Amino acid sequence: MSENASQSGVVRRSQTAATGENVTRRRVLKSLAGITAGILALPAARMCKAAVQNGLASADSPPGYDPTQHKWLMALDVDRCIGCGMCVEACQAENSVPQGFFRTWIERYVIKKPEPESGKTRGETVVDSTNGGIGGFKPSAVAKEQILKSFFVPKMCNLCEHSPCTQVCPVGATFDAPDGAVLVDKNYCIGCGFCIQACPYGCRFFNPETHTADKCTLCYHRITRGLKPACVEICPSQARIFGDLKNPVTDDPLQRFITNNKVEELKANLGTGPRVAYAGLDEVVR
Amino acid sequence: MPPQIIRLVLLTIGIVCAYFMARYFLVPPSFGEYGHYRGAALQEIANREPFWAGRNTCDTCHKEIVQKLAKAEHQGLSCETCHGPSEAHVKDPEVKLPQMGYDKCVRCHEASPSRPKWLHQVTVADHYTGNVCTECHDPHQPKP
Amino acid sequence: MTSPSIIITNMAEGLPQFSGYVYPNERTLHPLWSVLIVVYPYITGLVAGAFIMASLVRVFKVKALEPIYRLALLTALAFLLCATLPLLFHLGHPERCFEIMMTPHISSPMAMFGFVYAWYLMAVLLLELWFDYRRDFVEWSRMASGPRSLIYRAFTLGVTDLSEPALSLDAKMGRFISIVGIPSAFLLHGYVGFIFGSIKANPWWGNVLMPIIFILSAVVSGMALCVFAYMFLCWARRITADMRCLDLMIRFLFYALVLDASIEGLDWLHRLYSAEEGIDVLKYVATSKLFYTLLIGQACLGTLVPLLLLGSMQIIGKKVAELNRRRVYFSSTVLILAGVLAMRWNVVIGGQLFSKSLRGFMSYKMEFAGHEGWWLSAALLALPFIILTVFVKYFLARDLPTIENVVPGATPPAAPPPARA
Repeated sequence: MSENASQSGVVRRSQTAATGENVTRRRVLKSLAGITAGILALPAARMCKAAVQNGLASADSPPGYDPTQHKWLMALDVDRCIGCGMCVEACQAENSVPQGFFRTWIERYVIKKPEPESGKTRGETVVDSTNGGIGGFKPSAVAKEQILKSFFVPKMCNLCEHSPCTQVCPVGATFDAPDGAVLVDKNYCIGCGFCIQACPYGCRFFNPETHTADKCTLCYHRITRGLKPACVEICPSQARIFGDLKNPVTDDPLQRFITNNKVEELKANLGTGPRVAYAGLDEVVR
Repeated sequence: MPPQIIRLVLLTIGIVCAYFMARYFLVPPSFGEYGHYRGAALQEIANREPFWAGRNTCDTCHKEIVQKLAKAEHQGLSCETCHGPSEAHVKDPEVKLPQMGYDKCVRCHEASPSRPKWLHQVTVADHYTGNVCTECHDPHQPKP
Repeated sequence: MTSPSIIITNMAEGLPQFSGYVYPNERTLHPLWSVLIVVYPYITGLVAGAFIMASLVRVFKVKALEPIYRLALLTALAFLLCATLPLLFHLGHPERCFEIMMTPHISSPMAMFGFVYAWYLMAVLLLELWFDYRRDFVEWSRMASGPRSLIYRAFTLGVTDLSEPALSLDAKMGRFISIVGIPSAFLLHGYVGFIFGSIKANPWWGNVLMPIIFILSAVVSGMALCVFAYMFLCWARRITADMRCLDLMIRFLFYALVLDASIEGLDWLHRLYSAEEGIDVLKYVATSKLFYTLLIGQACLGTLVPLLLLGSMQIIGKKVAELNRRRVYFSSTVLILAGVLAMRWNVVIGGQLFSKSLRGFMSYKMEFAGHEGWWLSAALLALPFIILTVFVKYFLARDLPTIENVVPGATPPAAPPPARA
């Protein structure tokens, strides 16, 4: 086999000798082409980059608003929620949330009286949330005489300290903003759904219009302008409290609320570090 | 160095170079500004126009009503909770917001075993058979 | 937690079906990770398992399995080439898929997909195939003509040295890559199990045994696929299979199946014993919603029956006629392949059939067409077999003269045609 190789090599060398001028011309043309390509490469590269980057918008940080100067948080007072569902409607209108999906919602818990002689403190718990609470709640299927206790619980993103949702995003499209909000970059999200699976609270959903993950943004576009989130603004009974942990304690409604009430978080055992504080929660709430 | 190894090393270097070149084009410029995400996203999300004006906006023109409200039981309410979105009215104050029906009142005040006890609630059918709650209750000062 | 009240809501067609209390965002027509996400781990599992079978030859020097070495590698490659397709079809924005390699978020197990896949494809599978086939590519490029010769020459990467040192380096490198390939194969499929195992929000998934179970069932499915492909190929070519090779493959498959069944059994035993919150919900899902796919499909037909069949073959196999043994082997591998697919279904879909509120259940009615339909998934599962057929035709053909790794039972190759000028 090595014989074959040297034979063909000999053949090639003799061919080159016969067509010497052709080889020189070929070499010059080749190097000219190379130099031209090199000169054009850099501006061509820059044009390509610009075309690609335009697809991924790039803008400066919010003018006049410094995300590192705030730490937003919400608290929920279960004893003050009357289940009117106005917050859910307000959120839907404010954020164009698609029908059938919810950035916030209200749950109604109806705990039945225990069976007599059963030795239990309570009977069955019936939970419902028809259309997330939009339009209010119709009377419960459970008869009034059977009810031990009943209450409404507003639900939303729990603004976790160790968000499992941002931990699992493969590309960095969902993140903990420096000011406490947990946001989704819908121009970067690939729509894999990992974050939606990872949230224990059910607060994320796959938006059928943007084909990305979607969730409560704490009305980021409002709070960065000094307004309150839509749900907080519209709630008629002060069940939702919004504030900034970087404010002095006495000035801030949220910090006052946490100081004056015993509060609890949802599913604390999972270690997600949920920061949204609930006052008046019952053991049956998940 | 055996020819296989040389070829493979060259190929590997080529692939790695192609990867870093691709990164130069495809990683957005603001990526990594605050963390592992596009810093520009914060501005994009914040750029959305707010929908609800908020009570403070109503206060700029309707000071008297807001002050009256502030002294009564409905003091915690936002104007838009009952009056609906004020967008059209804020744009052009000549435009009046739609009239509210009594279902707005019933929405919050219909009695329910799930509602907390501090709320004034009535079984509307037993309380009043008309459909104009404002016959007896001024919404801005509801206690009759 | 009290047992969930089973009141079916939304019986109307076209509306999401659920019972009990389900978080509002969970009320979708189909689970978020639907049948496409069942197909993806199945495919990568087959890749990993087929590679393990091939590595038995190179790493553990099991000479009797020599006949299926190349078939196993080509099977792994055919399936690996199709592995990204279900993911691309499933993404909300597949045109942004490059982001996973450009800005991988290292705290996310899914982010390692791009790199692990690229590493496994290029640095393990293609490289090992190249070292094994390089000699043949050189020979074939000299014997063929026209475009086919060019293709073979391109495959040689220009390295045409066929001297003894070069060939022995090929063999040494092949073995080295095979050794590296085993943990790589575990990583390729194990990370998928880790994706599920790391979701603490879901009590069905978030479990330390999940990656182990995924890897073990992957090895079982890949080995079964090798047996299936080998038996099918022998049948298609009207040649008798090498029984020594087949018996040994089945023995390894049996051991893997025993291990896999034990760990899966341990998982359930532990869950039932420690009975944490939500165990009622999980029991209901396993026994009612997944009755056919879990209890009948995965447990009985996919695990117990093959265990009994193959186990009895290990004991009394010598006394059973070859034909009957082959029938038992073939039917067992088909059952195992179906059973592992059922296992993927039970994990992926099963985990999305109950609410995170632990108070309700959702349903999944698979459509025929569309992204979430079963036609697309069936096509994606058929595609690797088509690709494998093409590979076998061009790289395992009987008329292609090879120096070694002759297809078993084939007549010795005719003398190579004279080299064309």
